[in-house]
Amino acid sequence: MASGDIRKWFMKQPAKAAAAPAAATSTPDGKKEEGANGTDRYKSTSKFFSGASPAEKVKDEGKAKPGAASSKRIKEAVNLDSDDDEFEKPLPKRARNVGKGSEDESDVGKGRGKGRGESNAKGTQDMDIDASPAKAPAAGRGRGRGRGDSSAKGTQDMDVDASPAKGGGRGRGRGRGKGDAPVASASTEDDPEPSPKKPAAQAAPKPAPAGRGRGGGGGGGRGGGFNFGAREAPPHKGEKEVPEGAEDALAGLTFVISGTLDSLEREEAEHLIKCHGGRITGSVSKKTDYLLADEDVGGRKSQKAKELGVKFLTEDGLFDMIRKTKRKQSAAPPPPPVKAEPVKAINVVKTPNPKTNDDVKGKAKIENGNSSFVNNGKAHAAESESWPHKHRPQSMDEIIGNQSIVKQVQDWLLQWEKHHGNAAKGKKGNSSSQQKKAVLLSGNPGMGKTTTARLVCQLLGYEALEVNASDSRGKSDSNVKTGMGGKTSNTIKEMISNKSLAFDGGKSDRKTVLIMDEVDGMSGGDRGGVADLIASIKSSHIPIICICNDKYSQKLKSLINYCLPLPFRKPTKQQMAKRLQQIAKKEGLEIEEIALEELSERVNGDMRMALNQLQYMSLRSRTLKYTDVRARLMASAKDEDVTPFSAVDKLLGFDGGRLRMDERMDAAMSDMDLVPLLIQENYLNYCPSKCGRDDSGTARMDAIARTALSIAEGDIVNVQIRRFRQWQHAQMGAFMTSIIPAAYMHGRREVLVQGERNFNRFGGWLGKNSTFGKKTRLLEDVHVHLLASRICEPTREAVRLDYLPLLSMHLTQPLHNLPKDEAVQQVVDVLEEYSLDQEDMETIVDIATLKGGEGLLEGVPAATKTALTKAYKQRLGDRRVRSADLLPVLSLPGSKKVTKKPARMNFMPADDGENLDSLEDSAEAEGEEEGDAEEDEDLEAKALALLTESRPGMTLTLDPAKTKAAGAGRGRGGGGGRGRGRGKDSSQPKTPKATPAAKRKK
Amino acid sequence: MLWVDKYRPRTLDKVMVHKEEATNLKNLIAQGDCPHLLFYGPSGAGKKTLIMALLREMFGPSAEKVKVENKPWKVEAGTRKIEVELTTVSSNHHVELNPSDAGFQDRYVVQEIIKEMAKNRPLDVAGNRGFKVLVLNEVDKLSKEAQHSLRRTMEKYSAACRLILCCNSASKVIEAVRSRCLNIRINSPSREDIVDVLTFVAKKENLVLPPELAGRIAHHSNRNLRRSILCLEACKVKQYPFTADQEVQTTDWEQFIVGLANDIVTEQSPKKLFQVREKLYELLVNCIPPEVILKRLLDELMKKLDSELKHEVCHWAAFYEHRMQQGQKAIFHLEAFVAKFMSIYKRFLIDTFG
Repeated sequence: MASGDIRKWFMKQPAKAAAAPAAATSTPDGKKEEGANGTDRYKSTSKFFSGASPAEKVKDEGKAKPGAASSKRIKEAVNLDSDDDEFEKPLPKRARNVGKGSEDESDVGKGRGKGRGESNAKGTQDMDIDASPAKAPAAGRGRGRGRGDSSAKGTQDMDVDASPAKGGGRGRGRGRGKGDAPVASASTEDDPEPSPKKPAAQAAPKPAPAGRGRGGGGGGGRGGGFNFGAREAPPHKGEKEVPEGAEDALAGLTFVISGTLDSLEREEAEHLIKCHGGRITGSVSKKTDYLLADEDVGGRKSQKAKELGVKFLTEDGLFDMIRKTKRKQSAAPPPPPVKAEPVKAINVVKTPNPKTNDDVKGKAKIENGNSSFVNNGKAHAAESESWPHKHRPQSMDEIIGNQSIVKQVQDWLLQWEKHHGNAAKGKKGNSSSQQKKAVLLSGNPGMGKTTTARLVCQLLGYEALEVNASDSRGKSDSNVKTGMGGKTSNTIKEMISNKSLAFDGGKSDRKTVLIMDEVDGMSGGDRGGVADLIASIKSSHIPIICICNDKYSQKLKSLINYCLPLPFRKPTKQQMAKRLQQIAKKEGLEIEEIALEELSERVNGDMRMALNQLQYMSLRSRTLKYTDVRARLMASAKDEDVTPFSAVDKLLGFDGGRLRMDERMDAAMSDMDLVPLLIQENYLNYCPSKCGRDDSGTARMDAIARTALSIAEGDIVNVQIRRFRQWQHAQMGAFMTSIIPAAYMHGRREVLVQGERNFNRFGGWLGKNSTFGKKTRLLEDVHVHLLASRICEPTREAVRLDYLPLLSMHLTQPLHNLPKDEAVQQVVDVLEEYSLDQEDMETIVDIATLKGGEGLLEGVPAATKTALTKAYKQRLGDRRVRSADLLPVLSLPGSKKVTKKPARMNFMPADDGENLDSLEDSAEAEGEEEGDAEEDEDLEAKALALLTESRPGMTLTLDPAKTKAAGAGRGRGGGGGRGRGRGKDSSQPKTPKATPAAKRKK
Repeated sequence: MLWVDKYRPRTLDKVMVHKEEATNLKNLIAQGDCPHLLFYGPSGAGKKTLIMALLREMFGPSAEKVKVENKPWKVEAGTRKIEVELTTVSSNHHVELNPSDAGFQDRYVVQEIIKEMAKNRPLDVAGNRGFKVLVLNEVDKLSKEAQHSLRRTMEKYSAACRLILCCNSASKVIEAVRSRCLNIRINSPSREDIVDVLTFVAKKENLVLPPELAGRIAHHSNRNLRRSILCLEACKVKQYPFTADQEVQTTDWEQFIVGLANDIVTEQSPKKLFQVREKLYELLVNCIPPEVILKRLLDELMKKLDSELKHEVCHWAAFYEHRMQQGQKAIFHLEAFVAKFMSIYKRFLIDTFG
């Protein structure tokens, strides 16, 4: 039976569950015989599966990558299997079992290929399929995947025990009970019991129970791009039971999801489809098989789908498709709750769990398992060379992605001689402008930068000299002439300057290229390396190719001006998968394309890592599936660097509940400062999946309240950690600030503000805190000035809460209501009375205006503002000195001379002499710092003049150091009214005085 | 000049509220010496006014000749040297400072700077009393460590130095310090006192002030005398002549918090909470102290709450306020309170109205 037929057969099966009975009944005897020791038929079969038949089969495989010779055996095996199948077939029986809660559903293997023809024929059922050696790719028989689903446990312990997903890999006839529950199970600790509420896909292991004889394959991938808008929660979230079907129930089919589904979150749906071998893409194309949508929203996808005639599929339809792939168990309650032991899919081929209760059989199996493993091992022993090296591209075409860049490098090199070589000597002038003498290839590791460089050189007949981080690359000595030897840099210098070597000998086709690899790695020992490199480039007579990872690195800032920058981009996952497939073929690996795409995506464009991973995985099995790759990458993913953002995505993400505690801890601790801030900023955006259906929103609100409490408590812990250096509480802090909140809130992210992108925002606290710091300083200035006016003594708090509202009113109201001159007069009076200056006025108006309040100076005519500035300046000139003036005056930019010769009128009691001394010291230190002062001596003179006229009895302190003016923190520099501008606002108004309010309105 | 400053009593004799305390203080000074003093009471009650009047009583008018300095102090903190910037107001006889400005480094301010100031004897100048006075503001905001450092200083240098401590809440001052001081509680003036003062001010300014309005202002300002007078002036700026039913001017931040409370009560959702967070940030960034926000917010919420919930909400407000004192990032605690409130209130609404 052709694989297609099989598929059909199976598809139909549920409908006609009873269809097979004939076959089933046909061989009851045989079955009995086989199941000799089991009284119970069911049991006997299962034993059979786990034991004998697999053993035989394995042998087959192991033996000859089944040549013709093995065919017989296979047949035998198949027959045996078929018997079993038949035996088992009677569905009703099974159903009964299930009903008892003992077990589960079926298992099925999938076979593809002809080898299996006979067995199918016998056919019967899935079982035979199981029989097919999944793993034996060579056999040509397909990839069966027997994965029974386990689930359960009960009656047949043995099967379960035997379980290690071996079923998957080995495809052995063990069908039934062998549980593999492969996939997600590992991570489900969190919620071991799939509560009906919770989307089953998430909670339950996704058993993908039946293997199905169907041509498998199909590329898969995860397509669906991010979607930025908020999506509605599914209307019937968690209300439907998510079906479990054969692992490749949907193999070869491509889906596009559109709109909101009925009960599944989109992530769940994607996961479901992928786990059943389907492929998901982001947009509809000719290749799309189905558009999954529950409501026709009339969007682009559905429109296009209609054009192309793509079939629409509802969520229920999808479920049906999946369900069809396994035997229907009508009587059965929801999926067997017992999850048995979660089996990791990773160890696909590894030795089976020896715990079978049938010793003999178990042993046999183990042996077989080992033998196949050994075989593999041997095969690999020969090829010790690492794959990235072995499969390094040999021609330009083999470089993945970035073809245009490769081309550019090539062109550049081709043209180089024309522009910079001897030939170009005459017209040197224009050459440099047209083409740089060096290129800078940049990009993440593993994209093939070095390979490209080498390859291009090779193709164009250049000899490449490669210098990388393993060579010392410090500055070259002056005595380069002493010849080669010694420092590498000397060698380089010599090489680039040695014309005879480079070009005179060009005719003798000895052309050289210098490849400076890993230039951003120059540091420490490579003193002056970059500068020297630049010098080299300038004087070089040979082309230089520089390679780095991060072209924005601070170190390379100067270098980049001398190079032609060529940034490598990540190859697409399809490109990578294609190349990986070629390599895998060469190595005799059989891998699902969907698995390769997953791999490509996970390594983030790093081909080298992809190959390394692949090689490593190949040691364990010659056949790899999506789930294997996924499990493998999940396991290794945690060792990679995590950015705070990805850590937060992980913690709060949909799968957040399935992480192990140590994984969570790792994520939370990846950046102890930022992760909590990010979580605090974003937790409100998540719809906790824990809350399930939550119409009123109370559950969510409760979760938020608890989360907020935990975050607040974390803050207290943090105080202990930082202030009292109790670092042993660090874990507790991470727990409170990150893990607990994530545990409450993880789920789907939604958008709270219209138009916001659905990504985590950066923590707002940092920015707010610094604004707060700035405003506090400004307020403190005002406060000090108020104190200096000596008519009031409020605390800073009182200044803000009580004085500012009224002061701002006094300062702005007249400008609105009164005629210009009078208003200006009044305002200036107030300012003077309280020793305030114009900056203080800005501060007051700024701080006293909360968002939502109206800008206090809005609507004041510009003329009035100008007049105000003018009046203020005039006052400044002719009035008596204000005590507050002394503070800023002393820190005038021009006051540096004053610092040397402090005019001090100090009324402090003499007993403070000690302080004064120390102050003097600091005065000197300070004096240097104040050097930014370009203002004239006039100001200084004026300051002194003011002092002398000042009112008697007033206490003056003219020690610049002491009076590190209130405004010290603000950076001075702009052109402020009294020579003490404030540099803080980047947008200094053009007429600083005139439009103090211009800035206000931000 | 603002009225609140213009009519501030400069001497103990002229004090209009807390006359009894003023008399006692005067008698105390008359004896020639005085113990350490701890003034505590709500803001706007008149502590600072009393202290200044007291200093003047002690040292005569020269106590009013002050200079303001804002300078960095180099302090040995354990093994390293740190620099602390402090604003001091000082006359020949006294130094006033706010050690809690140094934040978590306040301990070093107390240990080094204050000790240094305390241990130097004042010059023997006319009008001197043989000791000088250190006025420390906001001692309740000092960390516990700093307060402990203070207690030794108070004893050791008491020969040459008197401390006058000033704070809002005595309970946040450790007992050891309290027991070394003469504690003087300055209550909020009674409403009648405030009305009297307002009337006095109005009279001086030649304004006609309807007593109803004065009463409302006193009520509105929560018996905070400073706020009352400022508020009176704000009302005057807004509208004069006064009418009895004139609207009392609320400050920007009060209005803002009222709006906030409205938001919270109208809708309880993550989205709303998110907006509330932004508003809280706005308040905090503009230097409104978090305690004030929380307290005021609670007041506003109380006005709108069903009496059933009041007790519970108060409990949680106190709970989160306590957390806030222990913590550092006030926004987290404020947000947590709002979240808690929303959670409670939402549940209540659903239970009650379905």
